[in-house]
Amino acid sequence: MTDRKLSVAAAINEALHIAMQTDPDVILLGEDVAGGGARDGDDVDEMGGVLGVTKGLVKAFPDRVLDTPISEMGIIGTAVGAAATGLRPVAELMFMDFLGTCLDPLLNQAAKLRYMFGGKARVPLTVRTVSGAGMQAAAQHSQSLYWITTGIPGLKTVIPSNPADAKGLLLSAIRDDNPVIFCEPKTVLYASGPVPEGDYEVPFGKAKIVREGSDVSLIAFGATVRVALQAAERLAADGTSAEVLDLRSLQPLDEEAILTTLAKTGSVVIVDEATPRCGIASDVAALCVDQGFDHLNTPVKRVTAPHCPVPFAKVLEDAYMPSAERVIAAVAELS
Amino acid sequence: MELKPDDLRLAYRHMRMIRLFEEKLSDLVQAGKLGGFLHLYAGEEAVAVGVCSQLQETDVVTSTHRGHGHCIAKGVEVPGMMAELFGRATGTCKGKGGSMHIADMDKGMLGANGIVGAGIPLATGAALTAKLKRTGNVAVAFFGDGASNQGQFHESLNMAANWQLPVVYVVENNGFGEFTPTEFVVPVRDIAERARSYAMRSEIADGMDFFDVAEKASKAIAAARAGEGPTLLECKTYRFMGHFVGDPLPYRHKEEAEDWIQNRDPLQGFERTVAERGLLSAGELRVIDGDVERELAAAVAAAEEAPLPSIDELLTDVYVETA
Amino acid sequence: MGTTAIAMPKLGMTMEEGTVVEWPVALGQHVEKGQIVLVIESEKNEAEIEATAAGFLRHVYVDPGEVVPCKTLLAALTDAVDEPFDAETFATEHRARYGPEPAAAEPAPATPAASAGPAVAAPSPARRPVAPAARALARKLGLDLDAIRGTGPHGRVVRQDVEAHVAARERLVEVEPGVGLEVLREGEGEPVLFLPGFGSDVSSFAMQIHSLRPTHTCIGLNPRGVGGSDAPEADVYAVERAADDAAAICDTPTHIVGASLGAATALELALRHPERVRSLTLITPFLVRSARLRAVTEAWARLAAEASPEAVASFLLPWLFSETYLADDTARERTLRGLAPAVARVPAATLERTRAGLEAWSGRRSPDDLGELRAPALILIGAQDLLTPDGESVGAALPHAHTIVISGAGHGLAIEEGDTVTRAIREHLASVR
Repeated sequence: MTDRKLSVAAAINEALHIAMQTDPDVILLGEDVAGGGARDGDDVDEMGGVLGVTKGLVKAFPDRVLDTPISEMGIIGTAVGAAATGLRPVAELMFMDFLGTCLDPLLNQAAKLRYMFGGKARVPLTVRTVSGAGMQAAAQHSQSLYWITTGIPGLKTVIPSNPADAKGLLLSAIRDDNPVIFCEPKTVLYASGPVPEGDYEVPFGKAKIVREGSDVSLIAFGATVRVALQAAERLAADGTSAEVLDLRSLQPLDEEAILTTLAKTGSVVIVDEATPRCGIASDVAALCVDQGFDHLNTPVKRVTAPHCPVPFAKVLEDAYMPSAERVIAAVAELS
Repeated sequence: MELKPDDLRLAYRHMRMIRLFEEKLSDLVQAGKLGGFLHLYAGEEAVAVGVCSQLQETDVVTSTHRGHGHCIAKGVEVPGMMAELFGRATGTCKGKGGSMHIADMDKGMLGANGIVGAGIPLATGAALTAKLKRTGNVAVAFFGDGASNQGQFHESLNMAANWQLPVVYVVENNGFGEFTPTEFVVPVRDIAERARSYAMRSEIADGMDFFDVAEKASKAIAAARAGEGPTLLECKTYRFMGHFVGDPLPYRHKEEAEDWIQNRDPLQGFERTVAERGLLSAGELRVIDGDVERELAAAVAAAEEAPLPSIDELLTDVYVETA
Repeated sequence: MGTTAIAMPKLGMTMEEGTVVEWPVALGQHVEKGQIVLVIESEKNEAEIEATAAGFLRHVYVDPGEVVPCKTLLAALTDAVDEPFDAETFATEHRARYGPEPAAAEPAPATPAASAGPAVAAPSPARRPVAPAARALARKLGLDLDAIRGTGPHGRVVRQDVEAHVAARERLVEVEPGVGLEVLREGEGEPVLFLPGFGSDVSSFAMQIHSLRPTHTCIGLNPRGVGGSDAPEADVYAVERAADDAAAICDTPTHIVGASLGAATALELALRHPERVRSLTLITPFLVRSARLRAVTEAWARLAAEASPEAVASFLLPWLFSETYLADDTARERTLRGLAPAVARVPAATLERTRAGLEAWSGRRSPDDLGELRAPALILIGAQDLLTPDGESVGAALPHAHTIVISGAGHGLAIEEGDTVTRAIREHLASVR
């Protein structure tokens, strides 16, 4: 183990370096993934993505880091075609909101080629995308749309809450032979934490208990893990022992871990940064009721964003996002 | 471009097979033996066969909802295709794809596609693979005039031209986007003109003439293989049988259709040309006709007898399962 | 468990509405099936309406004098006097199911429960809420959910309630076939048995047990019908029987601490089973109940049948505590809060039966009888005790008694003067060697 601390962004960058070093078929494409930089000895530096996450990669792998035009459908569609024919592309969809411009290549192509072709295709594609609110980026740059990709059979969707998982999940994603949507929640992108050195993978479909507890299970993922941990801390001060489960992977979903923590505490509060309808929180709630009914000691509670677009004003955005206060209030409603 | 007698025999064989295949499907639908949506390629044979006659097996093509012709031309086995259309376990895609999704990666057939325009970026991606992995392969995207109005077309052409990818975009302009005449929705006279926006080579071929298509495809493919980037090849053609099986065709002028079907049938044109040039005899062609007919009859019989997919197949192939 | 509706009957073809004339049964009282519960008037005829099922008159929706359409819900009977019951929900459900239909001009009720599907319909009062985990555990253990009190929101039975019920059952000691009494054991050392007074459970000795458990095995006995103890059907819970019950759980000579009626039980225990008694501590004892004690226990039992535990507790406060204690707002509030749940653990039926036992025992033992008792005794008396003013005579009758009168204290001595009482008991126990 290491004491080395990195941000999620740096951990992602490191994972990309490792993936590209270990597999010549891995390419990186997207808007500004190189982001300009020196051509013909020009005295400028590259941008490395709008948030600088991919900085340095084009210098290390000049032939495999491809700036694209601002053509999301072209980027993802081309990446699907490349993946189906032998490359292992990592495509960057700058913000998850842009899913609207490139849904077909994911929904109807990447997700379905293998099935439609009777198992004769594989699409080892990773789509990295920044999701979620918290930067006052407003309605078209702040959405958490993982519920859409999670609901599409053939796709996998993962979402890290910390730098170590970000690195391991991304390496798993790139090496997975299926199309994977890798969400990078804005509010965790610059969170710092210990990151092991070297090459390691965090397996999909394995949730992680990040805090043990006995009275109530807070089920969270991505940005809401920190919210759940804050709530758990404060609940502990009031004598309520909350367990926090970080799902990490939305599809595949670690149903066993969810049902195990439910069986342990009998109470579940799901904390989801996305809107409430047809979402992950509802999905997990349905699982608890369907498969864990006899363990339920209280109603299943969901703490989500409201059914409205993400607002701009800081005070409104704060009100939009799930908070520790709202989690605590949900727990209070249980007894 | 050189076409040996064997190449011509194979080309004719493919064209005849496509024509008979589509006619047979039309009959089978009327007999109530086939389900699903079927879009038939009859009339456009010279495009698929003309282009594919210039490709190697490892070259990759993407196709459309009207994809049977591209599959046959690229070498996908007919018995498997027929079984697929019958929804049988022995189908090319184990009965999971159907007409709009027949694919055979071993033959470089990256799939028919139910989404208009969706094959274009897939072929672009295949060309990116060829370029980065230096395989020497070329990718071909077949699509219709309708797809040239999709964003995927423009985004892909822009990227391919920018990256000088080894890809040929073959637009089969059959005069109708579904039921709407192309000129109602396309302001340019030739789709090929659109290449200019992307500083891309373009060509226009007579899509009813195998030889013209093959000639122009050959040039485009050679340029792509030589690292000279993409070409937009427009083939002017005609859809003999309507948008889908059952299309009552109220929107089409009878005289116009009669003219194309009677006077510009690509199979008849092929036969005329080979006779004129003394390349193949009518007798040889009739032998091929007989072979194709028997082969197709056998494929239908086999498909009808073939087992249905096991219900267990419902949940396989959703993901690559790695141990 | 269940609820029975009493609705305005339709007594003739032409009857559209009726007037409630009288409710002959008081709210909270039990009625037998067939008993007259309601008198109505319709078309100038009075009719007496019989209860269609036995139960407690739990809620009256329509007061005498009001005219309502036929089928209107008038009152509800519940099987148990204390089962969870939501009058409003029951009325909504009843109307949705049985009518009367709202008059044409009147819009349909806009409550979600009435307008939406079953997903939002309020649970029927007959089906009180039970958490799935509680239901599953009860099913696994073969328990009857109706016997389990719900402490969750809306009276929901949660898993903890089932577990508490099981733990309580496990604490039961069988004193005769089919009768288990709740016995709480805490601490390690010489055994001390605590016998609570009328209408109380062992929580009334909480301070003493807390203080003595480091040095003694404190045994708290909840009498028949109190807390988790079984409540066998009987007209009378006799003091003698309570003494025999106490004897059944003392296998060695034990220090006995009893308060009020518990002191009576302790005396009876010492007289009937002297070998089980090492020492006696009698807090506010009596041999003959005062008239005031009779009046208070009578009111208590009645109130318990008709009012909330909070109301019963506030009624008891002035009888149990001294002027000084009641003057302290903090102490009063705290005691009220603590007393209500304790009162809730003693249902009205138990109070009636216990009261009958108290009445029967009163005067049965003479001071001479006490003269035979050899066990060393401590008598604790409150100088302001309104309910058992003859405590000193008990001390006088006992040959080996030491009497302490605590000035300015009321009947609830163990609570009001918890520390003093504890200290006195501790010294008394230490002196018995």
